[in-house]
Amino acid sequence: MNLPASLPPRARRRRGPRRKPVFAIAVTVVFFVLLYLPIAMVVLFSFNAQKSLTIFKGFSLRWYEAFFHDNVLLGSLGMSLEVSLVAMIGSVVLGVALALGLVRHKGRLGGYAGLIMMVPLITPEIVTGVASLLLFKGLGVTLDSGTVMIAEITFSISYVTVILRSRVAALNPEVEEAAMDLGATRWQALRLVTLPALLPAILASAVLIFALVFDDFVLAYFTTGVDPQPLAVRIYSAIRFGVEPTINAVGTLMLAGSITLIGLALAIPRLFGRRGGLDLISGE
Amino acid sequence: MALRTPVRTEAPRGGRTARRDRRPRPSAAGARIWTWLTLPGTVWMSVFFIASLLLVAAISFGTTDQLGDPRFGTNLGNLQALTDPAYRDVMLRSLGFALLTSVICLLIAYPVAYAVALHAGRFKNALIAAIVVPFFANYLVRMYGWSVLLSDDGPVLRLLRAVGLADAHTKILNTGFGVIAGLVYGFVVFMIIPLYAAMERMDTSLIEAGRDLYGGPLRTFWFVTVPATRQGAGAGVVLVFLPAMGDFVSAQFMGGPNQIMIGNLIQDKFFEGQDWPLGSALTMALMAVLLIAMFGYLRRARKDEAEATR
Amino acid sequence: MTPTAATPAVRLDHVSKEFNGSHAVRDLELDIAAGEFFSLLGPSGCGKTTTLRMIGGFADPTEGAVLLSGEDVTALPPNKRNVNTVFQSYALFDHLSVADNIGFGLKRKGVPKPEIRERVGAMIDLVQLGGMAERKPRTLSGGQRQRVALARALVNRPAVLLLDEPLAALDLKLRRQMQVELKQIQREVGITFVFVTHDQDEALTMSDRVAVMNGGRVEQCGTPEDVYERPESRFVAAFMGTSNLVGGVYRDGTVQLEGGPALPVGRRPEIGEGSQVDVSIRPEKIWLSDFEPGMPVVNGVIRETVYSGPTTTYLIELAPGVTVAALEQNTARARMEDRWAGGETVELGYDPEHCLVLSH
Ligand SMILES: Nc1ncnc2c1ncn2[C@@H]1O[C@H](COP(=O)(O)OP(=O)(O)O)[C@@H](O)[C@H]1O
Ligand SMILES: [Mg+2]
Repeated sequence: MNLPASLPPRARRRRGPRRKPVFAIAVTVVFFVLLYLPIAMVVLFSFNAQKSLTIFKGFSLRWYEAFFHDNVLLGSLGMSLEVSLVAMIGSVVLGVALALGLVRHKGRLGGYAGLIMMVPLITPEIVTGVASLLLFKGLGVTLDSGTVMIAEITFSISYVTVILRSRVAALNPEVEEAAMDLGATRWQALRLVTLPALLPAILASAVLIFALVFDDFVLAYFTTGVDPQPLAVRIYSAIRFGVEPTINAVGTLMLAGSITLIGLALAIPRLFGRRGGLDLISGE
Repeated sequence: MALRTPVRTEAPRGGRTARRDRRPRPSAAGARIWTWLTLPGTVWMSVFFIASLLLVAAISFGTTDQLGDPRFGTNLGNLQALTDPAYRDVMLRSLGFALLTSVICLLIAYPVAYAVALHAGRFKNALIAAIVVPFFANYLVRMYGWSVLLSDDGPVLRLLRAVGLADAHTKILNTGFGVIAGLVYGFVVFMIIPLYAAMERMDTSLIEAGRDLYGGPLRTFWFVTVPATRQGAGAGVVLVFLPAMGDFVSAQFMGGPNQIMIGNLIQDKFFEGQDWPLGSALTMALMAVLLIAMFGYLRRARKDEAEATR
Repeated sequence: MTPTAATPAVRLDHVSKEFNGSHAVRDLELDIAAGEFFSLLGPSGCGKTTTLRMIGGFADPTEGAVLLSGEDVTALPPNKRNVNTVFQSYALFDHLSVADNIGFGLKRKGVPKPEIRERVGAMIDLVQLGGMAERKPRTLSGGQRQRVALARALVNRPAVLLLDEPLAALDLKLRRQMQVELKQIQREVGITFVFVTHDQDEALTMSDRVAVMNGGRVEQCGTPEDVYERPESRFVAAFMGTSNLVGGVYRDGTVQLEGGPALPVGRRPEIGEGSQVDVSIRPEKIWLSDFEPGMPVVNGVIRETVYSGPTTTYLIELAPGVTVAALEQNTARARMEDRWAGGETVELGYDPEHCLVLSH
């Protein structure tokens, strides 16, 4: 048979490898540039030798120095770390227990708990913030780091529970039964067998919560006292009422911190050599 | 298990039936532990979340005393104030901004998710991580960087002026467009992730078949890719709309006094105006819009699912 | 009650289990003797696992009682029962080494460390896992994981070992090997085994006694020979390997096939004259040559010949629409050219004692 030397363009294209979607790729490239440029700007200007926020005039670490000599900001950093740590522990303990209970407990309580733990996920933070503020005022509690911790725990439990719930559901219930079969009580089975199996997911969600709480601004803003204030709240005031380049340095440090933590959360399951940590795609 | 099967008390039916109608006994499989595990979190959430939301609802009927502190009451004035044109306009604007943000996110996320899910080869996971990770960077810092980038003498406008797409008066900050740009920057990742997941699940041979059936890539995209990813897009719209509707940072950093959103009003009533009952009423209005959106989405999703399984 | 030699290791006393109103197990009554290898055999969903779980304490009976060595344990949690289980999924502890998996139960009981080490070591040898003690379960093959699960249960020297389809996940060759090994181990340790399987070959080759279950009930309980040779119900006859079932009318020690011969089946006083019955006979119990004296012989036409290595199966039409299978060993004597071809008329002989007559 005599094939024509050149097939019509369309037929040839169809038979060849899939065509690159030029438009989609172009949008993606622009998207990535715009996604990272603002972050890059903050990082770049944190090293600026001059006070300018728009023109780079040489490299210096003066704004980092300024930050480490600013006792107010350092106090805020301390408070943020403290709040994040407590909120992480509190929400992981409550959230893991709730996830276990929700998966295994098939009663009316489980139905109610399953419903109310979904509500925070669809509630904007400002609503949670307003509600917490009203509750604390109503109870006559003085606003300080304690109220921030409580609000952050409330906000974080749902995340822990959502992440852990699918992990718990994927566990083989026979493993827990095997532990009881071998003489463990239910609590011992939970402690010796179930929790170790969930450990990667628990650690990953703990790191994630730490990062989220440390970065959280809205809830902290509504529930904090005047002094000290969490770092994110200080940054907010600083940006709003006159920007100091120190903010760029603080921002860069926070970016570095949260990116490290997220990297860690994503890497934890691999460190354990198995799947089952954090699945950002389906976990959302 | 909360409900144990009731113990049989009917008459024995003969045979070795001595134990047939025994009293309730401690469950051998002992399931009470699950109640104890569920309880602390449930109580915590009930007190600190559900009760506090109810308190917001209650205070929205309240009044303030001379010191500006909220008092319970049966005052409908706060809810009536919501129909005041000044507030009504802000609420409509918020709705418009949030909807526009969702649409723009959809327009950005489709090509990005498509390119990453189907044409990134072995870089797929790295790229999706590269999209997700900055989202976890501090929201304020990101928004601040974004506002610097879009500022009047920032790089974006300077570039646009250089190529003649903008003149000396073109502004992004302090406009409604600026606020929407902020919201899009803040929440677009919520659109990309569900779309990406949907496209990953999509059978790529559908696209090949679509090529043969519909010819052009645009038609294929419209008739094959979009219907196959509709559920992901729906989830994305909700995930973007909810936080955009409640945001107040973008309007503050990117907009001016004429672009404030409902979140800014609430913030103002709680921190500057000291009118907590009105702030609570505004919060309830916000929550109502979001619940309506959420229920609409869930009904739609359930219908889609029912159709898909039919 | 003090256990005596006659006290059964396991007694299920009118045990029933309902899930949402439907019975998974219905009025089960079983005695399992100490030291016995006892199998629960039946199709998927017939309630085998549920029965085992009630013995192990993982499910509460809705009615009835579970007794172990004469003691009522119905209300006791699993950790208070002197019973161990080999789970169908093996249920190994992935974060612990093989040795720690096996030693888990002993550690719970507070056995001193040196003794644990010694008993775990002995058990590792018994199940032939030498050199694997420090490995994690995930790095083992299916057969090795199965052995860990077995060792982990056996090391506790339970009165009864429950095994839920322990070999189902293994490939055929490994399964055959493990069947032999498991039986040997059981003889060595002398522990009562309650073994769940849906594979009738497995149940027949390994068990001292077999309970055939169907729809939550025990249809028949007896030695492998009992249930295979003398099935008491249509279900058991059908489930214990391919069986021929032909319908006819019972009259005076024969069953008259419609449009065909009358099959002598021996006198069955329990069956009414003229009643409609099914006759069941196994393919390997039908002779095609070398009849024994006194054997009834009937004629049939070969319809199909199926050669399968050591045996050949013939499908033979006895009457219009009534076909039976007959199985012949392909011994040295039976050469290819001696086999029958389709359409040939042959004689079938059988022993009426091998016929099971089931009235409708
Ligand atoms: N936890 C349960 N909830 C509801 N039904 C169950 C449960 N466990 C088993 N069943 C039902 O009980 C019946 C017997 O199940 P099972 O004992 O697992 O059978 P087998 O092990 O013989 O395959 C099945 O119909 C099964 O669907
Ligand atoms: Mg089973």
